Amino acid sequence: MSSERAAAAAAKILRYRGVTKRYGDFAALNGVDLDVHAGEVVCLIGPSGSGKSTLLRCTNALEAIDGGEIEFEGSALPREEAALRAVRRRMGMVFQSFELFPHLTALENVAEGPRTVLRAVREEAQRRAHAMLAKVGLSDKSASYPSALSGGQQQRVAIARALAMEPDVMLFDEPTSALDPETIGEVLSVMKALADEGMTMVVVTHEMSFARRVGDWVAVFDAGRIVEQGPPKQIFEAPTTERTRDFLSHLGWPA
Amino acid sequence: MTFDWSVVADHRAALVAATGTTILLTIATMAIAVPCGIVVAAVRLYAWPPLRAIAAAYVELFRNLPLILVVYWAFYVLPIATGLGLSPFATGLAALALNVTAYNAETFRAGLGSIRRGQLEAAMALGMSRRQALRRVILPQAVRRILPVLASTWVSLFKDTSLVSVIAVGELAYVAMQIRAQTFRVLEMLTAMAVIYWLLGYPQAKLVDWIQRRYAVTE
Repeated sequence: MSSERAAAAAAKILRYRGVTKRYGDFAALNGVDLDVHAGEVVCLIGPSGSGKSTLLRCTNALEAIDGGEIEFEGSALPREEAALRAVRRRMGMVFQSFELFPHLTALENVAEGPRTVLRAVREEAQRRAHAMLAKVGLSDKSASYPSALSGGQQQRVAIARALAMEPDVMLFDEPTSALDPETIGEVLSVMKALADEGMTMVVVTHEMSFARRVGDWVAVFDAGRIVEQGPPKQIFEAPTTERTRDFLSHLGWPA
Repeated sequence: MTFDWSVVADHRAALVAATGTTILLTIATMAIAVPCGIVVAAVRLYAWPPLRAIAAAYVELFRNLPLILVVYWAFYVLPIATGLGLSPFATGLAALALNVTAYNAETFRAGLGSIRRGQLEAAMALGMSRRQALRRVILPQAVRRILPVLASTWVSLFKDTSLVSVIAVGELAYVAMQIRAQTFRVLEMLTAMAVIYWLLGYPQAKLVDWIQRRYAVTE
């Protein structure tokens, strides 16, 4: 464990212990242990179907876990719906397929959370939405509907929508996997800027260069388990497990 | 055979009033059947399973009975069942609303079911309750998607209101048939009826087509 990591150990935002999740006979998560500290960018990598997206979806209880424990800011995820909603408010989530609301403009999409969930008055919600769109560089698109935006722009609006709730942690579920290669960069640079501001982020990604450059901690998944975790330098330059080496060489890493 | 169209002009006041009743009956039926259809659809999709079964049974019952039978049933059974002396208009309205609610419930169920799961998840990830997600995210999209179906239901309903003439509701079909019986001008009255129904029905259909184009959502 790196020394910076040990120093940050006092403030754990997320703590996963022995997390299991089954779909019928299939063990999607088979005992996952992981810590996410305040201000850290933790990247989850590994082959498709290895459980990394499932872990993310269990983090804000879009999926319920079958065993183990997930703690958010020191307490276990509640089971009761209203308490769960209060937790979800403090976690922003960005989806692979954007999931912007197609009947609302970019501005309305971003204002929707503050308006409906936080019960902000219209002016306050819009003010906040304008600020968030500016942050992702899309002030000029506030009146556009999602169908009029490129994939990269849609994903940036989706990031703004999550940020408008002023979350304590951002969960990214393969945010660039559905994008054209030429728009991946704009989304990654927004995410990088967010990381530089100190946002705590859990990122499921196939972008190895992002994980290496921006990640503070990388967890390699295989068959529902974390086979190796550590700082990116270790994972990408001196992986200790055969499985990590296999996975990275499969992706042509190191090039 | 000679035609005497003066019979239409002579009874224009009665025909206009009866047309007003037909329009009122259509609007009142939809005003009941749209919100009730949404509720029944939501119950069928999301409620506690025994309630789902009740909603499903209701839909399958009324969707598969001839409307005219429901009208007669409402006329003879409702007063006994409720102990209320309902007017013919209220009875006809109840029968139409029971029938159209069942159709609308199926339409809304299809519409709500067609919105992909990720939309609900995105709303819930923001901290919305299921009810808020339904109202703010799912329903507005579903309504736009099913508007053409609601439109054709509306136009069908406008014509089907004529069926409540069998229980003496003073709408267009009933009044026209009464005039026919008094004057024996059969072809004139049937033609006048056809013209009135068509002239009113066609622009409604066109209007709804326009609404659909106006509010279409592209993804």
